[in-house]
Amino acid sequence: MALTEHVIMRELDVPNIADFNVYLQHDGYVAYRKALTEMKPNEIVQIVSDAGLRGRGGAGFPTGRKWSFLPRGVYPRYLLCNCDESEPGTFNNHQIIDLNPHQLIEGVALSAFAIEAEVAYIYCRGEFATAVNTLEHAIEQAYAAGFLGKNILGTGVNIDMYVHRGAGAYICGEETALMESLEGKIGQPRNKPPFPAVEGLYRKPTIINNVETLANVPPIVLKGVDWYRSYGTQQSPGTKVFSLSGHVNRPGNYELPFGVTLRELIYSPEYGGGMHGDRPVKIIIPGGASAPWLIDKHLDTPLDYESVAAAGSMLGSGAVMVMNDTVSAPHLAYKMDEFFKHESCGKCTPCREGTHWLVKVLHRFAEEGHGRAEDIPVLHSIYRQMQGNCFCLLGESAVMPIKSALALFPEEFEAYVARAASNGHDGQNGSAKGKPVIALQQR
Amino acid sequence: MAEIIITVDGVQITVPDTMNVVDAARLAATQIPVFCYHPRLPAVGMCRMCMVAIGMPRIDRDTRQPMLNEHGKPIIQMFPKLQPACTTRVADGMVVITNSEEVKFAQNGVLEFLLTSHPLDCPVCDKGGECPLQNLTMEWGPGNSRFDYSDKVHFEKPYKLGDLINLDRERCILCSRCVRFQDDLADDSVLGFDQRGRKWHIISKSDPPFDSKFSGNTTDICPVGALTTSDFRFRARAWELTSVPSLCNHCAVGCNTTLDMRHNQLQRVMPRDNAAVNDIWICDKGRFGHRFIEREHRLTTPLVRRDGQLQPATWDEALDVIATNLRAIQAAAGGAALAGLAGEHLANEDLFLFQRLFREVLGSNNLDTRTGVPGEYALDDVGYQYGVGVGTNLMDLGKGTAVLVFGADPEEEAPLYMLRLRQIVTQGGSLIVANPRPTKLDRSATQTLHYRPDSEREVLLALLKLVSAETKQIPQRTTGGAELKGTLEQTKLDAVAKLSGLEQAALAQAAQTILAAEHLLIVYGADVLVHGASLSALLANLLILRGKVGLANSGLIPLLARGNSRGALDMGVRPDKAAGYAPLKQAGLTAREMWPAALAGKLRGMYLMGSDPVASYAPARAALDALAFLVVQDTTLTATAQLADVVLPGTNVAEYDATYTNAERRVQRARLARKVYDASKPNWEIVQAVAQALQGELVLAGAASSTTVTRTVGGNGKSGDGVQGKLTLTTSTASPVAAQESWDYITVGEVAADIADLVPGYAGITHTALAQTAQTKEWGRQANEDYFYDGTSYTNAEGVGLQVPAGAELPKATFDLTPPPATKVPASSTYPFALLVQTLAYRNDPFLHDSLLQSHIPAGYIALNTADAAQLGIAAGAQVQLTSAAGSLRGTARVVPDLPAGCVLVPGGLVDLPVATIQTGALTRVAVSSVAE
Ligand SMILES: Cc1cc2nc3c(=O)[nH]c(=O)nc-3n(C[C@H](O)[C@H](O)[C@H](O)COP(=O)(O)O)c2cc1C
Ligand code: SF4
Ligand code: SF4
Ligand code: SF4
Ligand code: FES
Repeated sequence: MALTEHVIMRELDVPNIADFNVYLQHDGYVAYRKALTEMKPNEIVQIVSDAGLRGRGGAGFPTGRKWSFLPRGVYPRYLLCNCDESEPGTFNNHQIIDLNPHQLIEGVALSAFAIEAEVAYIYCRGEFATAVNTLEHAIEQAYAAGFLGKNILGTGVNIDMYVHRGAGAYICGEETALMESLEGKIGQPRNKPPFPAVEGLYRKPTIINNVETLANVPPIVLKGVDWYRSYGTQQSPGTKVFSLSGHVNRPGNYELPFGVTLRELIYSPEYGGGMHGDRPVKIIIPGGASAPWLIDKHLDTPLDYESVAAAGSMLGSGAVMVMNDTVSAPHLAYKMDEFFKHESCGKCTPCREGTHWLVKVLHRFAEEGHGRAEDIPVLHSIYRQMQGNCFCLLGESAVMPIKSALALFPEEFEAYVARAASNGHDGQNGSAKGKPVIALQQR
Repeated sequence: MAEIIITVDGVQITVPDTMNVVDAARLAATQIPVFCYHPRLPAVGMCRMCMVAIGMPRIDRDTRQPMLNEHGKPIIQMFPKLQPACTTRVADGMVVITNSEEVKFAQNGVLEFLLTSHPLDCPVCDKGGECPLQNLTMEWGPGNSRFDYSDKVHFEKPYKLGDLINLDRERCILCSRCVRFQDDLADDSVLGFDQRGRKWHIISKSDPPFDSKFSGNTTDICPVGALTTSDFRFRARAWELTSVPSLCNHCAVGCNTTLDMRHNQLQRVMPRDNAAVNDIWICDKGRFGHRFIEREHRLTTPLVRRDGQLQPATWDEALDVIATNLRAIQAAAGGAALAGLAGEHLANEDLFLFQRLFREVLGSNNLDTRTGVPGEYALDDVGYQYGVGVGTNLMDLGKGTAVLVFGADPEEEAPLYMLRLRQIVTQGGSLIVANPRPTKLDRSATQTLHYRPDSEREVLLALLKLVSAETKQIPQRTTGGAELKGTLEQTKLDAVAKLSGLEQAALAQAAQTILAAEHLLIVYGADVLVHGASLSALLANLLILRGKVGLANSGLIPLLARGNSRGALDMGVRPDKAAGYAPLKQAGLTAREMWPAALAGKLRGMYLMGSDPVASYAPARAALDALAFLVVQDTTLTATAQLADVVLPGTNVAEYDATYTNAERRVQRARLARKVYDASKPNWEIVQAVAQALQGELVLAGAASSTTVTRTVGGNGKSGDGVQGKLTLTTSTASPVAAQESWDYITVGEVAADIADLVPGYAGITHTALAQTAQTKEWGRQANEDYFYDGTSYTNAEGVGLQVPAGAELPKATFDLTPPPATKVPASSTYPFALLVQTLAYRNDPFLHDSLLQSHIPAGYIALNTADAAQLGIAAGAQVQLTSAAGSLRGTARVVPDLPAGCVLVPGGLVDLPVATIQTGALTRVAVSSVAE
């Protein structure tokens, strides 16, 4: 399935494409120039729709459809590029900026033109200091070359682009929290509706897309719908940069057409190169920490939105985390939920208090070795009390690790309880009669 | 707004389609528990307490009609997840289920979650007993907690969010009601959040912290004991309190309050719900500024001057001395040698009897509520004549309403109006704020007009010109049209624009707003009140031309000085008119005229009730010293009382039952909340005792009479409380004497009944009538669901007051358009600057002396525009001197960019900068110079 030509990771095809001149020599800004001089904004929206481009930020929402939600005649409009990239296991946005920044800038500018926004912001995760520098430099070059600013290429089109560096909160990747943060407020999600397309940044119509989504736009406009649809599946066309991590031999970003199977991604020598020490696959989290877990029997699932959903999970950000049998499911759930607890913004009760309590109980199991039989129904109860009741998807995502762990590996929880009992623990903090059990599976 | 049908737990109800599910369910008598939702605040859906199951009829794609099942009923499609009821708007055919297992599981869940971090220190929490978290836990909670960790949220406990408000971050359930109140209602965005997750907590963002005049309200709507006031903290448990309906008299809003008492002591002041006055809010002056009720050094007994010293005396003795001396002066020099001053915070009953005493018993019209300070408010009759019509309710107003705020700073002068006017804008009304300087209300305005000081008259004439040009027909019963026309012809818009600094287009825009309004409200304040009718009559003309007089929801609202300023005018405590604005043949002396008269020996005796001229106007001292006899009735030994021959121990609002009339002429009743101090008495009783003593004196003296009036009182039977009787009374003056009345009131209700009988407009306003409300809820501590919906403000079931009709509403009222003559104080080269005196909410007001607000009174300053300051070489913080024809004053300079050129702004009523000492009248011209270090 290896690609001979990449859509996003073009640095593999064109050495040094991060250099502005190299980028220009290799079709750089050709699509943009063509769009501005020869096309109407809604033609681009149509092309993107026809190409079937889907949002790479997690939900896989059709980008052209999202753009078409903008209320007619309401200006100013804003385009936001979401580069908060904080989903555990996800590391492709950063790499796009490092190795192929101009394609992103062109994509943002081209999309701003398409939705008739005169201002675009690229919101970067706080830790992305080098990425911010790279972007700012690339934007400067684009301004200098006359691709940004006022009356671009003499067409009368104005587009300004700014990079904003967040303060390092996962929740600021959520689209409305990102807008709050950009407006200088505390980063917390807003009520929906109104949806951003109607009332977003500064209460104006706003489109927000992921870095990878927008980087797809120039090649689509340049090479056309048919070319794009020659990759991937009918409903998930194109390619995806999968961030592969975990107990694989070759973790990293791999751009592959949608529909490649988990097995190929993990085991192909060109990609994952198989499991570390040839140990068996135990848990696969196919779409970032928010995705329900899959197991070895799902290895033949094709990685496209529909197939992963059919397997009971979601493709999410395309961050594939693979765990071998040395990993304890309760411990993994503990680690994952610890993340969500740490990142919970606190706005709603179920997520704020639920994640805290979950982590408390999981810590008791996985770290202290005091798990008790009655804790298991409590764990079930906590996630049920959260599920469907949280204000935003962060809280809902926090349900996934514990729910998956309890559903797929109930015996591991029971084993913890049994071991704690045999060690004479009564489950009370600090009143253990023996030493806590830490070693779980043989490593 | 359309009416739609929804089903809540099987009950079908019709509701407006603008409602959310929580409010709609309440109409079906179904309570959905809430924490973050509050009916006055925008819904945010954060706490997730209100999750319910919601379904909608399934719609056929082709016919767009609901699909029906085999029984012909619509097929209901439930949402896959529970929905927050607070952020979900109702829709036709919606089905809401609030009592299923699924819903109960979610509600239990949220409460169990909340309590995992909550400290559960109810036994030491001020909210205990009136806490929505307690109540909701009992009703909707799981009953126990499975959270077996000793890991509550921990923060430093008593944390001062501001000096008035304490925050217990451990108790906070992070509902953001306080933040939203500050942002959306008070327009003081001083609170915010910091951190995230379980560490997320409330902070103050302002310096000084929690800088808002409305901060106390957050403690009412906080659904837990996280926010408590420094004033009430640890004073009492909620269930020990006896709540007495009362009123705030600090300003002309007349907010309804309760005085929460324990052991005859005031523990706290809380708002009492009155949709037509204060809704469920009060300002911090109302909440924290009532410690004067139990001020130290209260007078507890009458004092009589013996051997030059004020010494305790019995009532008999004191009254005897008063009667003998007043009668002696009257006999020797006539009633005109006697004068009375009374405070505007006193009740209608006190004031009515006070003027009766002077007019009927002593034969004097020398009455005033003012003290003669230059620049004090003129007597405001226009506000009575053209005030808002009966039935006015600001809460209902929005689209179609235009409010013109002219020469007023509502936030400082009458704080609650700030919230009420903002609400009109939120509901779609227009708000024009016209002032010489920026005020906080500008931020809420749909148009602001900053005119140059002393161009008010011209600005109003210009508006009148623009409005009259569009007025086809002058309303009936109007006089003075020709005179107005003449004046308007001479008014040139371009000249006004030049003089005032306003664009002609801005004036035209304002006129258009006024012309388009269905309801037209005009609010005026200090800057107009000091000039009196010369400006306010022009504001009234706008209403007359627009035909908006005598109508509900239109009219003038003057921001008078105090809670019963209107009542004092209505009761006739003034030299020029008797009660009910009845004309007098001969006017008496104003306060300003009294002082020279006293110095000249023409005025020999005075009776001051709740009036302390020495404190407000130093020159009064010499005049009072010159009197032959001075009686002062007050609650403490004021500077004035120290000069008296007899001091009578009076009472404050908490100590007797009485009525007060607010700026919108709503008569409201405050109840007896605490026992009086020892021998002190309700003010009206003292006035009556003085009258009775004088009558006794009269009989003893067998005085030579010049007039004898006989009258039957209480004869018209309107007020069942009236006293039937005959009285013959003799006076020795020829001054206009009103009909005589008996002086044998036993209850205050009888006085009120006489007011109802004798004062035009007050007919029917008896204490019994005032006690009635539409609500049937028992008054007292709330034990109903409003508790968690509205917070701890009190339900009002003891009377929401009755409005006195405006003069314009009387059947034969005529409307005079004649423009009053201009009263100009031209600038001169000696005194080139106009002095703007700003009325502050927190000033050196004796009523605030014992309160926590004392530290909120700012240090005095003299504010100058940047250009003026530069030209005079004055830097911020430098010492400057103001000189007027009356004197000079030094203070610290403030340099303010948005102040108009050619004026200085000085806060009034401050001890460290007594600006009254240099005022010469309604407008003072001053010279500004820098003081060499
Ligand atoms: C808690 C949370 C975190 C998110 N973080 C990111 C992120 O880091 N980057 C991103 O592109 N989308 C993130 N999203 C998804 C965005 O809300 C949004 O759907 C996306 O940016 C839309 O872009 P797309 O249509 O191109 O996918 C996050 C969503 C949630 C609920
Ligand atoms: S689920 Fe609630 S607490 Fe969690 S991140 Fe979203 S809004 Fe914040
Ligand atoms: S302090 Fe009270 S009102 Fe404010 S967020 Fe906390 S619980 Fe809510
Ligand atoms: S607005 Fe006026 S009446 Fe109301 S509480 Fe404040 S000072 Fe008292
Ligand atoms: S979420 Fe509805 S009341 Fe808080």
